[in-house]
Amino acid sequence: MANIRLTELVKEFGSTVAVKGISLDIENGEFLIIVGPSGCGKTTTLNMISGLETPTAGEIMIGDRVVNDVEPGDRGLGMVFQDLALFPHMSVFENIAFGLRVQKMEDQEVQERVRAAAEALYILPLLYKRPNQCSGGESQRVALARTIVNNPDVFLMDEPLSSLDAKLRVDMRTELKRLHDRLKATFVYVTHDQAEAMTMADRIVVMNGGKVEQVGSPLDIYDTPMTQFVAGFFGMPTMNFLEGVLTSSNGDPIFKSGSLEISLPEESTQNIKDNKVVLGIRSEHVSVSDGALRGQARIIEPLGDASLVYFEFGEEEELVAKVSPELRISPGDQLMFSLQASHCHLFDQSDGHRLN
Amino acid sequence: MNERVTTVADLRKDGITARFSAWLSQERIFRWIPFVMVEGMIICVLIIPFILTIYISFLRWRANRPFEQAYLDGFRNYEAVLSDPGFWLSLGRTFYFAGSAVILELIIGFILAMLVHRIVAGRRIYITIFLIPMMVVPVVAGYNFSMIYLDSGPLNELLWPLTSLLGINPRIRWLSNPLAAQWAIILADIWQWTSLTFLIFLSGFSALPPQLINAARIMGASRAQVFLWVELPLLKPAIVIAIVIRSMEALKMFDPIILLTYGGPGTSTQTIAYYLWEQVWQFNKFAYGAAASILVLILFSVLIFVGIYLLGRQSEAVERGEV
Repeated sequence: MANIRLTELVKEFGSTVAVKGISLDIENGEFLIIVGPSGCGKTTTLNMISGLETPTAGEIMIGDRVVNDVEPGDRGLGMVFQDLALFPHMSVFENIAFGLRVQKMEDQEVQERVRAAAEALYILPLLYKRPNQCSGGESQRVALARTIVNNPDVFLMDEPLSSLDAKLRVDMRTELKRLHDRLKATFVYVTHDQAEAMTMADRIVVMNGGKVEQVGSPLDIYDTPMTQFVAGFFGMPTMNFLEGVLTSSNGDPIFKSGSLEISLPEESTQNIKDNKVVLGIRSEHVSVSDGALRGQARIIEPLGDASLVYFEFGEEEELVAKVSPELRISPGDQLMFSLQASHCHLFDQSDGHRLN
Repeated sequence: MNERVTTVADLRKDGITARFSAWLSQERIFRWIPFVMVEGMIICVLIIPFILTIYISFLRWRANRPFEQAYLDGFRNYEAVLSDPGFWLSLGRTFYFAGSAVILELIIGFILAMLVHRIVAGRRIYITIFLIPMMVVPVVAGYNFSMIYLDSGPLNELLWPLTSLLGINPRIRWLSNPLAAQWAIILADIWQWTSLTFLIFLSGFSALPPQLINAARIMGASRAQVFLWVELPLLKPAIVIAIVIRSMEALKMFDPIILLTYGGPGTSTQTIAYYLWEQVWQFNKFAYGAAASILVLILFSVLIFVGIYLLGRQSEAVERGEV
């Protein structure tokens, strides 16, 4: 078992800086998910942990040793790749046994361990097939079995579910979480899919532009995003953002944007100096059944358990509300809406940092 | 009953020209033109000469006598060829030359490709340099080597410090010693055709998926294990292609021999191609040469079928996604 510590990690490729000084403590046995848009440096960070990339500056510790100059194979890690990277010329058995053969393990033990790993992932009947004869889900299990058979302390996963179809991906999420509970190893998982991050992670690291935007539990990140980027990245549909100014009337803080005025809880605005802000509010905190503000429905997206109502108000400003499906609204309908002031997030207009 | 109404247009069509153009429009002629051109060419340059060769191989005829005196003589030419030690020796030498050259070309080409594949800076320059020999006309390459091997040539100049140290006459006559001459020819072939194996292997190395190598490295495989267990098996199609293509070419080895040694000293550098050429064009033994070439054709056909089978098996494996 091992914890991982990254200190001021930097990676440059020529003149581009992919990772700009990341510091991170990954606890032993934690399921940590690094999430961010393409090109944010998440895979590069993972590759530096694995040893496939050498950091330009900074330090990587696994357990209590610095591994910057340790070969990938000597770091005690297992990795599942985006395209799975199964050896096409070997049977499933030999794929799983590869790591054991490398260590020149006795054949008897190889047999036992490969079978145990295959059994754990329900792929015993596949052992003598070739990877190209396996379905997407089966290949996924083979790649996992190949990793767990070596008993690594740390599992690194680089978007391993991205090649699966939507249904299978959801099933595999549950299975990965179960696997993590059983193995109690440290999982570092990279994805661009915020839903994957929310459902599986103990802790999420949100990266953007080579830097860490926020580290926290899934609900922390969802409920208290520290930057506008994080707020916009998590949640479906994307959080509503309104640019406006903070003023006060009779000592009560008020957010003004065009014709819209919302009074905010006093404590939420105490430390704000600049009055140009972005107000963010999630769709589920916008109510369209009652309220004092007037809008007009544009598009309705029924999701089954809820419906998304995109509506316009004021000077062509648009908001989206998540409402109960029983509420029958058609495009073009006039509606009265309100925003739950206690769930409003305020961000700095210039640098996007959270203000309240 | 549906009676056909005769129209003016029909009447006009009855003219001869109309009928001819209708006949033409059925593409009875035009659709044959590509076929006639291609097949005609093949018949003229391949099939007819081939049939003539078979016919001549059964004749008793030398080209310095009038053809009228030629007569069918059964399998006598074949018997003569099969009982000629020169035929068997040159056949054996062909395999010896081709085998040595191809093996060394594969090894050197493989090593060069592996090294160049790992080089980052100046890779293109190395690739260009290593591909130059292949682009040199074989005759030019042969002439160059005939100058290199001269007893006052650059090879001996280069070796001068060594030969003077050992007290050997520095004017070594490379092409006068049977063994040296054989290897001079093999070396010329290696110089020219290692480019091709290099190119094939380089493309093979470039096509190796980096993730597979990364996966092996993370599982703790050493460089040697990655090479032997992952890279080499994945390069198998490239290796088979290189072996088949180079072997087919090397068995025809002729140009360096005619330019460097004329089959000599003695017959020590005669390959089967040279042997056939000599029998026909030097000794005027047309019928004998025809019989010998038919025998060589049969033998090489078997080899070519083996080659095609191996290539086919590799491409099937690639299609199945196994390599």
